[in-house]
Amino acid sequence: MNISFIKSNQKKEITEKLKEIYGISNLPYLLIESGKEKIRAFSGSLSKEEILEISEIAKIEVVGGYLMRQEGVDDLRLSFDAPLILQEQITKAIVEIDKDQFELWIRGNDIEIKAEKGNVILKYNGDFVGCGKSNGLKIFNYVPKDRRLKTTIKSQ
Amino acid sequence: MTRYEMKLIFEERMRKLLPNEQDFQAYNKIIHTGPINFIRCNTLKISPEKLIERLNKKWKVVQPYAEFPEIMLIESDLGPGELGNSIEHVLGYYYVQEVCSMMSAIALDASPGDIILDVCASPGSKTTQIAAKMKNSGTLMANDLKLDRIAILASNLEKAGVTNGIVTRNDAINLCNNFKKSHIQFDKILLDAPCSGEGTIRSSPKTLLMWNEQVVNKFSRQQKKMLAYALKCLKVGGTLVYSTCTHAPEEDESVIDFAIRNFPVKIEQISLPLKTRPGITEWKLEKFSPEVKKSHRIYPQDNDSEGFFLCKMTLLSEIKEEKSIKREHKNKY
Repeated sequence: MNISFIKSNQKKEITEKLKEIYGISNLPYLLIESGKEKIRAFSGSLSKEEILEISEIAKIEVVGGYLMRQEGVDDLRLSFDAPLILQEQITKAIVEIDKDQFELWIRGNDIEIKAEKGNVILKYNGDFVGCGKSNGLKIFNYVPKDRRLKTTIKSQ
Repeated sequence: MTRYEMKLIFEERMRKLLPNEQDFQAYNKIIHTGPINFIRCNTLKISPEKLIERLNKKWKVVQPYAEFPEIMLIESDLGPGELGNSIEHVLGYYYVQEVCSMMSAIALDASPGDIILDVCASPGSKTTQIAAKMKNSGTLMANDLKLDRIAILASNLEKAGVTNGIVTRNDAINLCNNFKKSHIQFDKILLDAPCSGEGTIRSSPKTLLMWNEQVVNKFSRQQKKMLAYALKCLKVGGTLVYSTCTHAPEEDESVIDFAIRNFPVKIEQISLPLKTRPGITEWKLEKFSPEVKKSHRIYPQDNDSEGFFLCKMTLLSEIKEEKSIKREHKNKY
């Protein structure tokens, strides 16, 4: 893994953007750029220098958890797990869905639902269940394949 | 699931370990049944109270160990794949994990702020359990060797919401050697060593077919080497948990005995929430230090579980590197 730490001024921009889109104002992590505009978050105690020192003697594959993806200049799409990690801070861009919509969504389908355009976080029955992108009429599905349900769920 | 009979030599070995006929028969009976369904609540994402409340709406779930509310047993009959296809599983609220396998992390007793190395981490059941105890603070280095195993490990860490982890792909011995050379040391190390898997027959009946004594001896040599190198990147006063999912004394007590004879370690007396038996002190022509009795043997018939072995040790003083390696080769190879 090519480790590239996000500098503090860039982190500030990211935090401001997250606050604007999702209401997230505190990112107590080292942020690391990963492939395909992905940003990972490391909450561990090692410093940047210590991580780089380790990378010289060990093949590092992954640092921290996948948090979000930079889309173009202005947009940030959270990973499937990021809303669960940051749930107490999320106040905006939440789209509540019902059972039928959830059944479709968690199996990887887009769902027809009116919402503000842009990246949104879906919430079902009190749980954040991933992020999608809305065009105003439809939310496009970004549930990773290995996190999709394969069978009919029992009622909650 | 197809079940297989024991090979004669395997049966002879197990009879030596379980000389009481009733005990052996209980073992022989239980290994021919499938395992029961344990899960572990992922406290990085949800509390045990909230999870059990949710799960009890669809299954009968109990918490068999009061001190460890995160350990849950699903008592309902489940359909194939049902446990892995619930909403709570998809969201990473629980990890499907056999109860024996939870004992390594319980023995390690991780705390927030620790610097921990999990030497052979994939698929990540114990790693995610350790991360939960660390509350995503400190640093958890999780290593494995092969890319496909790393992918599974990384995916499971992601799902569990682990953010204090660094996943590395290295040969365990090289990695520990490099850490030693660079004076990087850990507070705690888990060495859940690759093994012949005698304890996993209930979930992987084919183990009985694949098993042979050469494999046991090969693993034994490898495990001793791994343990020797892992100890060298442990801080003085730090603790190491060695575990396997096998009953073979060559891979269990013999490895612990090797550590006692070659390194300044103290074997710790610990208690676990399962019924365990002490390590044995003799096997074939080998006699082990009486200290190995502090190790824990876990037999499937004692807890309706899989089989397991673990031992916790503390490093008492700095290891003189060259001397130790020479001893290892002189004694054993």
